[in-house]
Amino acid sequence: MKPTLILVGADKGGVGKTTMSRTLLDYFARKNILTRAFDTENPRGSLHRFYPAITEIIDLGNVAHQMKVLDTMESAAVPVTVVDLKAGNLSYSLDLFERIGVLEAARNGMFTLGLVHVVGPSIASLDEIGEIAKYLQGVEYVVARNSINETNFFEWDEATYRKYFTQISKTHEISIPKLNEMAYEQVDVAGVTFKDFIDNRAADGSAGKFSFVLRGYVRKWCAENDEEFARVKMLQDILGTRHT
Amino acid sequence: MAIAPTIYIVASDQHRNGKTLLARLLADYLLLDGRDPFLVDTDAPDGPLRNYFPGRTALADFATIKGQMKLFDTILAAPGRDYVVDLPVRHLENFLAAAADLNFFQECKNLEFRVFFFFVVDNSFTSLKAAKAVQALAGIDLFVPVHNKLVRSTWPEEEGSLTIPLLPAAIASAIGNKRFSIRNFVQGDVQGLDEEMTMQLQNFLYEVLNNLSNLEPVLSLKNLKM
Repeated sequence: MKPTLILVGADKGGVGKTTMSRTLLDYFARKNILTRAFDTENPRGSLHRFYPAITEIIDLGNVAHQMKVLDTMESAAVPVTVVDLKAGNLSYSLDLFERIGVLEAARNGMFTLGLVHVVGPSIASLDEIGEIAKYLQGVEYVVARNSINETNFFEWDEATYRKYFTQISKTHEISIPKLNEMAYEQVDVAGVTFKDFIDNRAADGSAGKFSFVLRGYVRKWCAENDEEFARVKMLQDILGTRHT
Repeated sequence: MAIAPTIYIVASDQHRNGKTLLARLLADYLLLDGRDPFLVDTDAPDGPLRNYFPGRTALADFATIKGQMKLFDTILAAPGRDYVVDLPVRHLENFLAAAADLNFFQECKNLEFRVFFFFVVDNSFTSLKAAKAVQALAGIDLFVPVHNKLVRSTWPEEEGSLTIPLLPAAIASAIGNKRFSIRNFVQGDVQGLDEEMTMQLQNFLYEVLNNLSNLEPVLSLKNLKM
């Protein structure tokens, strides 16, 4: 099947971009789909901490690193590649991909290119959608409202919001629900994937000592995420062809 | 006969109908039976049960996630013993929702616990409805409707219930004192009660403890029928 490259980005920091990447990788892991990931938060790499086995830390500005992501797309035996774009890097990355021909390759059907745009609850997030609209032809565009550790409501009014969306033809919209902060924190401290936390497995593979209650809330939260992801065609296409 | 470790949950949708008294009687019954119950009082910060059973009672506020962890994680981390959970009215719905979200009853089964759910059914129709909803829950080994004679009950008589007989107010007040030990009373220490009160309390306890000890045969019968 065609491989899929999923970019996860936001022009603003602190909206839960890495959490979104983790959520996606976790989703595929629970559905038995192999993934690999690139973390562009060079050199720290917070995604790398949760998925050390499948994540490489790269610098997208570096040509050798660009090649690492793109040239291996077809040869890699892994159907899904997730790239966690560093905060503030979204327009830059899309521009870069346009220039080096990545967007065009996707439009020509060499692989499926998805962009998961993580937005926070502020109006500023909406402006970002306008800024990147010009790159989105041929891209599976998903706007993710992230409420995982938010207590405040989105301050968008629906009319303004719709206005932005009509600029872009094919948009999927998902909502990452709130996860109890104590549960979120425990997963974070343990440095494990959501799936391993639910299964009570520590980072080194040994039996974990995680709270039954917190595991339960993470499991419930994952089930809520699954419902959101079930509405995204790109993701369902990947699941649908897993046996081929 | 060895009895499997059991979680006894005592709840109601209405206030002041003898819920905590029942939880206390249950704990004393288990202790008299030579078992080693641990109690979780989810009515923090009040926690009336802890006064009667210091040293074997955890206090948790179920309204918080920490309180939920204290209840569920305490029980699941140390299986193999009995637990008595006193659930105040304000946490009943939360508890049922959390138990469903977390798959609590299934986890209890995995750890070879039995779950007994005592529900004090008041004299209102809403109470009967709430009780029926709990009765219908999956994962409960024995649902015990409780009829407290003091408040009467809408639970249909023909379906049977655990009865708490009337207890004269003077005695209720005397045993309400946190120094009063029902266990010691049963073993012969009247703790200052006069002869008539002693007699009345003896009759009361005889009936209640007898009713409690009948639950095991009730469960066996129920399982036989299935």
